[in-house]
Amino acid sequence: MSLFKARDWWSAALGEGEEFDQGCLCVGDVDNSGSGHDKVVVGSYMGMLRIFSPHNSKSSEGGLADVQLLEVQFQNAIIQVEVGKFVSCSELLHLAVLHPRKLSVYSVSGTAGNVEHGDQYQLKLVYEHNLQRTACNMTYGTFGGVTGHHSLCIQSMDGMLMFFEQDSYSFGRFLPGFLLPGPLVYNPRTDTFLTVSSARQLECYKYETLAVATDAESRQDPDLPLKTGGKRLMPDWSLVLGEHALDISVPFFSHSSFHIFVLGERNLYCLRDNGQIRLMKKLEFNPSCFLPYTSVTDGTTNLLLGNHTNMLLVYQDVTLKWAAQLPFVPVALRVANFPELKGVVVSLSSDGHLLCSYMGTDPSFFSTPKVDAREADYEQVDAEMKKLQKFIREASRTQGESLSHLHSIILCPIWITSGLLYYPYLCLQVKVKATRVVQASKMTVTVQPPLAVTQDQFLLEPMGQVVAFSAFLNGHYPPADLTGDISVSYSSPTELNPKGVPRVLQSRFSLPLALVCVQSSPAKTTKFKITVDTNQPPVDLNSIFKEFSAQSEDKDGNSLAFQFLSGAVVTVLASKTSQRYRIQSDSFENMWLVVKELVQRFDQHFSKLGIKDFKKSFSGPMPLQEYFLAVDHHFQLRVSAQQYQDLLSERAIQFRAIQRRLLTRFKDKTPAPLQNLDTLLDATYSQVISLAEAAEENQALLQEAFVQLRSSTHLLVLLLSLWQNLTPDQTSILEATLLPLLQDTPQLGWEESCDAAVSHLLRSCLSRSPKDQATSLAQTGGPVLGLPRDTVRLKKHITLLCDRIAKGGRLTLASEANVQVPAQVQNLAAPGE
Amino acid sequence: MEVTMDPLFIAWSYFRRRKLQQCSDICSKILEENPYDQAAWGLKTCALTEMVYIDEVEVDQEGIAEMMLDESSIAQVARPGTSLRLPGTSQGGGPTPAVRPMTHSGRPITGFVRPSTQSGRPGTMEQAIKTPRTASTARPVTSASGRFIRLGTASMLTNPEGPFINLSRLNLAKYSQKPSLSRTLFEYIFHHENDVKNVSGQNALDLAAQATEQAHFKDWWWKVQLGKCYYRLGLYREAEKQFRSALNQQEMVDTYLYLAKVYQRLDQPITALNLFKQGLDHFPGEVTLLTGIARIHEAMNNITSATEYYKDVLKQDNTHVEAIACIGSNHFYTDQPEIALRFYRRLLQMGVYNCQLYNNLALCCFYAQQYDMTLSSFERALALVANDEELADVWYNVGHVAVGIGDLTLAYQSFKLALAFNNDHAEAYNNLAVLELRRGHIQQSKALLQTAASLAPHMYEPHFNLSILSEKIGDLQSSYNAAQKSEDAFPEHVDTQQLLKQLRQHFSEL
Repeated sequence: MSLFKARDWWSAALGEGEEFDQGCLCVGDVDNSGSGHDKVVVGSYMGMLRIFSPHNSKSSEGGLADVQLLEVQFQNAIIQVEVGKFVSCSELLHLAVLHPRKLSVYSVSGTAGNVEHGDQYQLKLVYEHNLQRTACNMTYGTFGGVTGHHSLCIQSMDGMLMFFEQDSYSFGRFLPGFLLPGPLVYNPRTDTFLTVSSARQLECYKYETLAVATDAESRQDPDLPLKTGGKRLMPDWSLVLGEHALDISVPFFSHSSFHIFVLGERNLYCLRDNGQIRLMKKLEFNPSCFLPYTSVTDGTTNLLLGNHTNMLLVYQDVTLKWAAQLPFVPVALRVANFPELKGVVVSLSSDGHLLCSYMGTDPSFFSTPKVDAREADYEQVDAEMKKLQKFIREASRTQGESLSHLHSIILCPIWITSGLLYYPYLCLQVKVKATRVVQASKMTVTVQPPLAVTQDQFLLEPMGQVVAFSAFLNGHYPPADLTGDISVSYSSPTELNPKGVPRVLQSRFSLPLALVCVQSSPAKTTKFKITVDTNQPPVDLNSIFKEFSAQSEDKDGNSLAFQFLSGAVVTVLASKTSQRYRIQSDSFENMWLVVKELVQRFDQHFSKLGIKDFKKSFSGPMPLQEYFLAVDHHFQLRVSAQQYQDLLSERAIQFRAIQRRLLTRFKDKTPAPLQNLDTLLDATYSQVISLAEAAEENQALLQEAFVQLRSSTHLLVLLLSLWQNLTPDQTSILEATLLPLLQDTPQLGWEESCDAAVSHLLRSCLSRSPKDQATSLAQTGGPVLGLPRDTVRLKKHITLLCDRIAKGGRLTLASEANVQVPAQVQNLAAPGE
Repeated sequence: MEVTMDPLFIAWSYFRRRKLQQCSDICSKILEENPYDQAAWGLKTCALTEMVYIDEVEVDQEGIAEMMLDESSIAQVARPGTSLRLPGTSQGGGPTPAVRPMTHSGRPITGFVRPSTQSGRPGTMEQAIKTPRTASTARPVTSASGRFIRLGTASMLTNPEGPFINLSRLNLAKYSQKPSLSRTLFEYIFHHENDVKNVSGQNALDLAAQATEQAHFKDWWWKVQLGKCYYRLGLYREAEKQFRSALNQQEMVDTYLYLAKVYQRLDQPITALNLFKQGLDHFPGEVTLLTGIARIHEAMNNITSATEYYKDVLKQDNTHVEAIACIGSNHFYTDQPEIALRFYRRLLQMGVYNCQLYNNLALCCFYAQQYDMTLSSFERALALVANDEELADVWYNVGHVAVGIGDLTLAYQSFKLALAFNNDHAEAYNNLAVLELRRGHIQQSKALLQTAASLAPHMYEPHFNLSILSEKIGDLQSSYNAAQKSEDAFPEHVDTQQLLKQLRQHFSEL
């Protein structure tokens, strides 16, 4: 991240598809022109050697050719180039070129041209050495304190240091414990070599130690123990860095700032000559190369650092002085003096981008991309805004009205009813049609448990399709409701909104009674009886329940029995003389489905016959005691579920406590006996598991009980409405009151929500005095609903509700609106207590 | 023209240039020809490690297991200013929650998202499981290892044929004797395989322990690695011991950072601060140490000192994004949007280009009364969003600006949009409730406020609003309850206190 980019002074792209690395760049007055101006020497892994003398190319238009002094293609890759006094008896600078298996030293000379075309440069081989081992990098310096000329030291890939004194090979030494080569540098002040080994430590070898150590040629295997005849090679000192090093540098600027710099992968170190850390900086990026270049103030060193986020950073010791952006990741950095400009930063990228730059305040490359903002045509925008606001207004006013004309569901109910004797199933086919293409349409089918469908989610085609699935009973008890819901969600794209507006379409279907029960022989004596009166002559039951009449023994159609899969039998008896029908069974809740079916079919039957004033009634009394059995059963299971949960959390706490104890035991340095804590842990674990299993079982029972409770409640509501001849509006209020939930949850159950709803009705529309109504409405927030202690209160309320309805109470929501909310709050006891 | 070169040299060069995949490929080829080439093996190990390397200092996520099975809790009732866990133990100097929003652990929102800035510390296991998070995940991180496992799967991707090193077959004792391989192998096991301690007992910890022994307990690096292993295993005291010992041997920046991390985990921020300062004596101006100090001060609600240290960071490294962002957000919340604007603009010039920055720029512009820039910045922010949560935040801010300029319809729609994109946006619920109340829809407003209060119990605004609302419609009991919750969330809030006083007076008159 930087504000500025490095200012481009001169740049060139070298070759095509060539590779460059750290050693491939060096600067120096390689042709000994004497002017002190530097030339840039670049060698590539493809064997190209190029020498440049860059100048600002504004004056001439020669481009690269004008600047390039020399280009030579070698047979071998160039892995490092260095400029130094490599030829004995010569003060001139020569060029050392390191190939994998060869070291060559050349002299570069320029002859002034006769004509305007410029000077001519030549490369002349002075000497070369063929290497026995693959070289990896080299360093040079005045080894052993010799002045005047430079010796060379080459590190091979397998860890041998080869020393060359001008044109002669002096000796070779293996580095101890070598695996992979690290950077190598010569420190002239202490006459030592520095490298970072694979053990990730900085090692310092004295030149004299190296000179007297065992000769590398005398042994073949560096891992073998040393033979006598030489000293074992030991580093003078070493420092563990704990990371690989990218580069080491020992710059010399002044006597007060003379330090070793090591660039690690994650840290930058500055060390004293004896290996003590002077400074260290943790780098928050991946560095690629660095170069200490000068010392501005005494005691500090400035350095350039390139990193993998294309940055060139200038540090003074550890303080960031400047950050500039480069167009590439530099692999090598140098500072050079050119005729027109001094102190130019020369950087080279891995793919051959050579850049001479200087620091400047050109803003960084980054410029924010333009947002594809629409042209601000204000009239158009205004119009669109108005249109959208109209949409919003309409949408919020006519909530709930669906745009179903786009889409339609056609439900083809049944086409096969078949199956085994006890497990009938039903194939259903749903046809979904779309009048236009819709996106992401999904269909969901829900049925009441314990009913189930073979597949409940479908992905639909854009234009709709026909899907088939089958429904069956997945449990041994009958459901409370045979209806199911189909909902289709889709999105219809419009011009302005290509993603589409999400929409939902719903449809309801009901499954036949035959899915859950079969015909059987009538039972004579039963526990529960319900009698329904009508005002029309009795009908043949066989004609009403056609699908069950096939195997009926009773030919006169007086009685019909249904056997549910659970085994419960419900018998319907039609009186021969009076206009009564009796439904009887051993279980109260199972009668619901049959009663409901009966009432529905009577309605259909008589409307088909054209009889308008068909009336059915129930003469009471309400079977409340039977109903309360179901309530109590459900409540009992809820209480035990709560107990299970409490026990479970208690055991879980215990388990964690033991775990914690055990952990401390195991962590202890001095092992202490476990004192049977492990047995305790095992026991608690098995307790937890068995409790969880019991809780699950209870859960299943609870679910069944709730289904039964719902059946019973439905039956109660139906009977109440038949008894007092309630209007459909009133029936739906009653139903909402008594069946507020579709599912039980641990937090909120049927008992408390039903109680709240019933007592609200008792206080509002069914209350005796209007004053009660008023006060009850003022109490907006009641106590938080929770599991009641017992069901006595609820039963009392339900009984009271039936009483009040019997006495002519009208269920309505309208009265609430008329009552003024009084200012003062009074606390009245709830009625019925 | 083709020039032949030693493949190992090429691989080595690639590794130095961080072309890690190429490096690993070449090493695989060498190993196919010669399976016992130790150099190639080592290089490939390094390359594979480097691909998945994450600085261990920055990895800090407290999983539910660490939170609940942590037996090193020291003082339940810490003295003010000595604990990171107790919210509201600030030493003053920071802005109140009325000005600067809080995270639900009771710390002010920071300018820079780091690991563990968002985690709270629930009291019990049950609470931990049930607590809704303001982050998009509904549950706390189940275990710290979740993250490591995810990182570990990266290794399977890089090696379709299976793992490169079969750890269970390694003879660690042999490798621990080879200093040139042991460190490489350790980093591989630690970072690439994430195998600190597994069942078979072949693991990073063993290797580190054996290697330390080999080095005669004189190698600081192995001690630090041992400490890192202990830290991951949750053995903080042991980790502390190792780091301390390593520091005695060799002062290193990383060791200071690790040790301070241990102290922060042990909830000893003061010790961590002292340690950082000690580290600064040895490495003056070290940016990471300064940042560490600033973060601790920020976490302890001591914003003034935090800003001072962030400024010190900028003196050392003026391109430090975290420092700039934190100073910027601090200026913003202390009513200096113009100055905050300059910090954010600098970030923009430095090349930070994302939704959050434009969002902040837009807000600064708005409060600095540069209205022309506000909407265009929001436009850019909307164009740059990466996920729905960000989108919701931007729309929320648009709504805020719309309230500021009095365009209530726009505000209403913006808050609705914010909720459409993030259904848990408590602030949007609260503000929407206020707008509904202005329209006279009391019931809706109440419902929205209750939703907001249940989503973000740490915010005092919904409680306070609910209290006011209930008081207006005469439901004094609810009003009192809500006001008390508001007081819990923000004890210094004057309006809440006045309301409570008024209510108490009213009750006593009855």
